[in-house]
Amino acid sequence: MVKPPPPRPGPAALDPVTLAVLDNRLRAIVEEMGEAMLRSSYSQILNSSRDFSIALCDAGCRLVAQADHIPVHVGAMPWAARAVAEAFPDARDGDTFLLNDPYHGGSHLPDLTILVPVFADGALRFWSVVRAHQSDIGGATHGGYNPGATEIWQEGLRVPPIRLGEDGGLREDLLRMLAANTRIPRDFRGDLMAMVGAARLGRERLSPLLAKHGPERLDAAVGAILDLSERHARRIVAGWPDGTWKGEAFLDDDGFGREDIAIRAVVTKRGDSLTVDLSGSDEQATGFVNSSFPNMRSAVCMAFAYLLDPEVAKNDGAFRPLEVVAREGTVVWAREGAPVTLCTSHCSNEIVEAIVRAMQNCCPDRAMGGWGRRFRVAIQGRDARRPGRPFVWHLFHARPGGGGSAGGDGWSTAGEWHSAGGLKFGSVEMAEARFPLLFERHEYLPGSAGEGKHRGGLGGDLSLLVESDGPCRANTAGDGARHGAAGINGGEDGAPHDYRLRRSDGGERRLRTKEVGIAVEPGDRLLVRSGGGGGWGNPAERDPAARERDRREGLA
Amino acid sequence: MSGPGGDGGEFRIGVDVGGTFTDVVGIATDGAETLAKAASTPHDQSEGVLAGLENLAAELNLPLAELLGRTARVVHGTTVATNALLERRGARVAMLATEGHRDVVEMREGLKPERYDLRMPPPAPLVPRRLRLPVRERLRADGSVLAPLDPDSLARAIGVLRDEAVESVAVCFLHSWRDGRHEREAAAALRAALPGLHITLSSDVLPQVKEFERFSTATVNAYVGPAVGRYLDRLAARLEGAGYGGPLFVILSHGGVAPVAEAARLAVGTALSGPAGGVAAAVALAERGVAPDLVTFDMGGTSTDIALVTGGEAALGRGRDVAGERIALESLDIVTLGAGGGSVAHLGPGGTLQVGPRSAGAVPGPACYGAGGAEPTVTDANLVLGLLDPGNFLGGRKALDRGAAERAVAALAGRLDLGMLDCAAGIHALVNARMADGVRVATVRRGVDPRDHALLAFGGAAGLHAGAVASELGLRRAVVPLFAAGLSAWGMLHTDLRYEIARSALDAAGGLPDDAALRAVFDGLEAEARARVAGWFGGEVSARRGADMRYGEQVFEVAVPLDGLDWDAPGLSARVRDAFHARHRALFTYDLPEEEVVLVNARVSAMGRLPAATPSAPPAGRAPAAPVAHRRVHLEGAAVEAPVFRFAALAPDQALEGPAVVESETTTVLLRHGDSARMDGRGWLDIAVAPAAG
Repeated sequence: MVKPPPPRPGPAALDPVTLAVLDNRLRAIVEEMGEAMLRSSYSQILNSSRDFSIALCDAGCRLVAQADHIPVHVGAMPWAARAVAEAFPDARDGDTFLLNDPYHGGSHLPDLTILVPVFADGALRFWSVVRAHQSDIGGATHGGYNPGATEIWQEGLRVPPIRLGEDGGLREDLLRMLAANTRIPRDFRGDLMAMVGAARLGRERLSPLLAKHGPERLDAAVGAILDLSERHARRIVAGWPDGTWKGEAFLDDDGFGREDIAIRAVVTKRGDSLTVDLSGSDEQATGFVNSSFPNMRSAVCMAFAYLLDPEVAKNDGAFRPLEVVAREGTVVWAREGAPVTLCTSHCSNEIVEAIVRAMQNCCPDRAMGGWGRRFRVAIQGRDARRPGRPFVWHLFHARPGGGGSAGGDGWSTAGEWHSAGGLKFGSVEMAEARFPLLFERHEYLPGSAGEGKHRGGLGGDLSLLVESDGPCRANTAGDGARHGAAGINGGEDGAPHDYRLRRSDGGERRLRTKEVGIAVEPGDRLLVRSGGGGGWGNPAERDPAARERDRREGLA
Repeated sequence: MSGPGGDGGEFRIGVDVGGTFTDVVGIATDGAETLAKAASTPHDQSEGVLAGLENLAAELNLPLAELLGRTARVVHGTTVATNALLERRGARVAMLATEGHRDVVEMREGLKPERYDLRMPPPAPLVPRRLRLPVRERLRADGSVLAPLDPDSLARAIGVLRDEAVESVAVCFLHSWRDGRHEREAAAALRAALPGLHITLSSDVLPQVKEFERFSTATVNAYVGPAVGRYLDRLAARLEGAGYGGPLFVILSHGGVAPVAEAARLAVGTALSGPAGGVAAAVALAERGVAPDLVTFDMGGTSTDIALVTGGEAALGRGRDVAGERIALESLDIVTLGAGGGSVAHLGPGGTLQVGPRSAGAVPGPACYGAGGAEPTVTDANLVLGLLDPGNFLGGRKALDRGAAERAVAALAGRLDLGMLDCAAGIHALVNARMADGVRVATVRRGVDPRDHALLAFGGAAGLHAGAVASELGLRRAVVPLFAAGLSAWGMLHTDLRYEIARSALDAAGGLPDDAALRAVFDGLEAEARARVAGWFGGEVSARRGADMRYGEQVFEVAVPLDGLDWDAPGLSARVRDAFHARHRALFTYDLPEEEVVLVNARVSAMGRLPAATPSAPPAGRAPAAPVAHRRVHLEGAAVEAPVFRFAALAPDQALEGPAVVESETTTVLLRHGDSARMDGRGWLDIAVAPAAG
């Protein structure tokens, strides 16, 4: 026997209390999804480094709620929902969708996105979205970062929106095909299952909410939540002076000899709105420092979120005061086919930095010194203790410093703009137990911070001895060996990265940020001296006691 | 005098030091329970403890010396360690670190809280960098010595400790989880050079791989150790001076108790001593028949503690942050939500109604306390709704000002364009929703579906919210113990001696150790743990085994219980592996049978059962209590005249139907429309919760 649905209150019944309850509930759902993801994901990059994000979008693909994981994902998720909604107007209850294609809703290939539609009364009401960085996505190099790529097909497997399963199931043939295109199929499958589980949890939690309150009332609540965020953000922006300001930031190079590629932001603030115009940025590059469109949009949102109060709910409403102008064919918005894998780090960090540099003239107490740039190294080889099991190790240690700010000195070794203290590095002891590596030194790097009234955070100092069984190969992918993190309001730039390979015979060379196939022999050392954060304010105004403390603490 | 286990005397006494009151519970051999209170004395908690004991003696009409002379054991919960951390008033502490690795703790694995707050300054570390002293030495992951301990660098470090008048030092060397020899050598040199220095070895506190967790735990131990040691010495001396000659036990973060010397040795293990008593009580009540699976709901003035009891056992977690510092000891998995009776309702910066995390605290307290508070709190809303009796709050000891509560709620209602009663009902509903959400997030983290659990409500504010929170979560039962007031102190008397030991047993070749190696590591741990507990009392010791395991490159380990395995039969390693696959499947819905399985930590807990008091017999057949009053309460938008009952007067098996209010000196229980309740003769109100609408 079918039970008739209980009578539901209409949208008019939306009162401030119900609104507050639903607002809490939606946030709790994304938090719960994040917990589920964290506990069940398979690869190190997800469960240790937490490189994933969770979002709920409404039927109009507006960002409703997101868990605070990786800031560079914050503004990108709605584009994924839009791409799926466009590709699958016939989406049904029980479907599971997948994409990673940066030219169709994705940011870059290693970030897979799972989308599960949530239905009520026969209509699509929400998208439950989980995005996570895979440890490998095929392509010419392990780990997904291919500095030699000149087109996207060299970067890995491209997945435009696909229906991965229906009626609550998943298509095993598709899963096999996807996994077969990655180097570590067990990680790929484990992580994908965790993503699907977390996305379905979102559906499980939203369904009773829809049943209890009715889709119309929930719609009204979502609308009100977004409007309140918009008002909150606009109230803050309205307090800033009107004007137009310019800021720029430079990528070191594109890996193909072209140096100092400029990202230029012209920010115009009028009343309670901001226009960010990136169209003066340099033409797109040969290598993977180009940004996809969704990633560019997300980077602008990230910069804006950093300048607002941290309490502003990060949703579609909060970003309504923001208008973005950009030109296809520039480094911030590459034409389809160009390589883009580095873009969630670079050039998204430079987009943020150019905007913050512009805004230091508008809201100097909100602008913060630059956070460091990402410079990754992956080493692949053999371990005599574990024959038959080749290893791949990714450098997450010796992170760069965060920027100084009106609040105080920067956070040391807390990382880059795009994660801002959200990426964890693993245990040195565990790494030594599991990889043929010896961490001879892993400490703060004195003197790396940008000077300022409030100095930047310190970078890291790592000496890593390679003890592999036979030769290894290493790749690098990153930026920031020429340009340090920006000083703001008269603060000085942080020191740029300085990574070196020291041979066992004493020979030494500086590593470039975009190299493939570096031969590494047992007995070689990787010497990582990562950059410090940018300073904030005039160094002459630094409290002498703080200077004395830095000296005593051995940080100067 | 009684034996070392404290089973010879007539009384057992539990002492719980809270922020405001020190609760003292005495249980006699016939099961009679007596509660006394005294004001807490933060400058030296032992003064308040003695005052509480004096009051207990007075309640029992005994001179204190006689009471203590007839007491078999005293169990104590202390917040000395927690307060030292929260108030940053610990010892002047230094660290000896493997050269090249002195910044491990301050680096916090690269993590920073508050993702979008880039203007928050970093916190000051417990040990300033200049007191993180490098010592040249190095072990490899397999325990072999890469560089021996260098006496010159050690001597230089000792010179700094002396010059800087350091009180306490943590010795934190890499890979000491595998072999603590360098840490022990350093300790010997420290003891010889600096007698009186408090020394913590990371390999002693937590012999487990992952340096951040081990070093941070050791550093916290060094920081709180001297204060905890001095306090426990003072307390023991005061008790002895007052005539007590029996054992003094301290309840630890894992919920078991240990002698005072052990608590002083592992002072960091007392960081959750305060809330541990409540969870111990929940376990005891589960055993007495409440339900094997419970969600504890301890709602106080500023915060609410939530914990899970599953199959009659409290869930343990692999560590937590206290005052921003990582403590990686196995401890009760208590989740604290920043909302309680004193939480302030306000318009958040985004313009929505919010409750908490700000609290009115004890001063000025809720508006209805009449002490100057003008903002509405949860308690004010409850008073406006008629759920609280202004003349009978805390047994009439505190008169509440209903007018002040109405003014505070009305001011907020005006800003929301709501009626006053609707606003009060909204505050009540919102705090219920927040609690339910908090429980959901806390349970998914453990892979637990709370719906087949009962909600065990205690703490002053819990009774009014338990039914609604339970129904919001889909729970069918909520239970409120009559003895809610001193429940923490009571719980301490119903938990056992316990020693937790764990050691990393990573195999360099990956995978699992073979059968013989597994037996060796677990047998060794069990022998050590049993010997430790056997040294504490004369009774029987039991032991349990478990492991932290994971797949290949996964970083989070899964706790796998290994009881019930036949440890002598062949194929042990394979069966341990199977147990892990099954556990992983149960928690995360999938397993990866082809994948490499890694055993990270072997764990053994040894327990010594302390004799429990006989529960007092249910009172003889009494007539059902009649309501003492009727009160107008506002529920679901309508006013009703609800009967008010005295909790203590309810007869065993007396049935109640909501709407109704049940009051005791320390808590008020609300039965909503559709809720029904039965007074259980064993001492609790058992509520059948009306399901949530829709």
